[in-house]
Amino acid sequence: MWSAAYGLIALAVVAFVTLYAAMHTPSVTSANLADQLYNAKKWTAGNLTSLPRTDRRVHFAVGNNIIKVWVVNAAVSGRSFPVQLPTGYKLAKNDSNLLYELYLNVTSCRPATLHGGAAATLYVVELRHSLDQLPWLEVYAAMPRDSARYYSWLHSYYTAWGRPPAVGLDPRVGADVDAGFVELVKAEWALVHNATSGTTMLYAAAPPSALYVLVVDYPLAIPLACPPRS
Amino acid sequence: MIALRDILIFAGLAALAAAVIASLFPVGEGVSAVPACSDCAFKLTGGYWIRQYGNYASFYHGTREMARYGWAYIDGFPLSIGEVMGCDSMYVHVLDGVAYVSCSGVSPTFGGRVLPSAPWAVEISADPSRPGCTYVIDAAVNESATIQLYVYDESGRLVYSASSPSPATFTFSLPVAGTYRMRIYAPPLLDQWYTLQARVSITASKAAVYTSNNTQDLRSSIALKIFDLTNYWKRGYTSVTVHINPAGASFTLTAPPNAFADYLLAWEDCRNCPCDLARDLYKDQVWRLTFTPSGPVLTRIHSQGGYWHEVYADGQLIYVWKKNGPRSDRYTGSDPTISVRFVSEGSEMNAEATFTKICTWR
Repeated sequence: MWSAAYGLIALAVVAFVTLYAAMHTPSVTSANLADQLYNAKKWTAGNLTSLPRTDRRVHFAVGNNIIKVWVVNAAVSGRSFPVQLPTGYKLAKNDSNLLYELYLNVTSCRPATLHGGAAATLYVVELRHSLDQLPWLEVYAAMPRDSARYYSWLHSYYTAWGRPPAVGLDPRVGADVDAGFVELVKAEWALVHNATSGTTMLYAAAPPSALYVLVVDYPLAIPLACPPRS
Repeated sequence: MIALRDILIFAGLAALAAAVIASLFPVGEGVSAVPACSDCAFKLTGGYWIRQYGNYASFYHGTREMARYGWAYIDGFPLSIGEVMGCDSMYVHVLDGVAYVSCSGVSPTFGGRVLPSAPWAVEISADPSRPGCTYVIDAAVNESATIQLYVYDESGRLVYSASSPSPATFTFSLPVAGTYRMRIYAPPLLDQWYTLQARVSITASKAAVYTSNNTQDLRSSIALKIFDLTNYWKRGYTSVTVHINPAGASFTLTAPPNAFADYLLAWEDCRNCPCDLARDLYKDQVWRLTFTPSGPVLTRIHSQGGYWHEVYADGQLIYVWKKNGPRSDRYTGSDPTISVRFVSEGSEMNAEATFTKICTWR
């Protein structure tokens, strides 16, 4: 009887020591933010083409992981067909220690003149980034090699899919493989932070004939087109 | 049995001794080591605390220094030099040698919320060039919910209701001019009231708008009397008699079907004709303007007078009196605007009125 009691007390002591030691041992996990950031961007890049798109402002205002498009009519050899121009993105992806959020919205497009006197279209893009840094930011302008051929090629996808193709965004139409029709050239760009309003604007100057600009936060590449002038 | 007891007692004492001895060892060798790393994440429980020094932050357990990092941030704010801070369960993230500590009980995440996401959004647009006032309402809430829409007229009657899952787009047409109240309802996030105004705005020269009889002789300033009959039809009258001049001359109109707005236009062509002709005042051209679903329609009711007249609709001559020219009794314009002009030989009574359908909201 007494042996059992001593045994139980001893067991309690051992259990206490083990538990105490276990609770006070820091549990260490590796937190590689660079990898997490890369994975978040890679996930976003992989899902970019399948994200919902809307041409209605309120749906864009409310949702996350949504793309704002303008539906415009493109004309090719007398036929007119609708295409989508992506002009805004709200992207969010959680990783274990990281919240990757990116907001891009073309607020205006206006003609500008570059230093050398060349004409350009200035894309004014509102940019918000959850991590305050874009170490890999690059901006390219997508220049059609032959715009008539490009649009007739787009038209073939329109007839095949039965829905408007998104310029620069849809797979097989987008920036991934339209290299045969589109050449990506580096565009001049600048980030301007307004401390009063807390907004950051990305100014990108692309040649006037550019179809869209590609904002690259590697490995994520986001096409942005000009909304039609109203 | 006794042997088992002795083994357990010995094991317990040995473990206790080991724990006590281990806690006396310096950093990294005891059971409760704090990792010294440049990029890692871990959780500390128990009596750990941090003191910030001029060029480093020390993690202490009791009085024993466990690890040093470049600086310590607690819930996003850096410690100032000499500051001491501790909490029971600490999540620590070390990035480039800087310790980010969360005392909130959950693992800290990097990156704030930056997307401009509204809990709900409503956008209203209206098109007066379609029948009635056609409103398009876009509404969305930031969760899956059913959005309900109710539109009430001036007397509180429900004229339109619909519901649709968010995001929703509603399209409806207000068939009769008036003021409406609209409720967009998606509990618990969204409950908004809006005022919709569907009306016809009139800009006119040498003219005035009345909502009931007007029998005065106002020729010095007014050549065209416009009687707004919309409210009578809205109240359910089947016919209305309008008295237009001092002699009480009247015209009786019956309720038009599906009219958005309805007007009687009574025009006088002569400014100084003798007043004993009072029974003939404001009768020289009498037309009716009805905004129908297919557009504004102008119909002739009565013509008389000694002078010649010309009646223009949207700048186009449609009717002449005592003159050669077109004699259409009916003209259909296109939404949302129609302009009517009366011209006579005595040009001082020329009058013009423009009717524009307007759909507003606030």
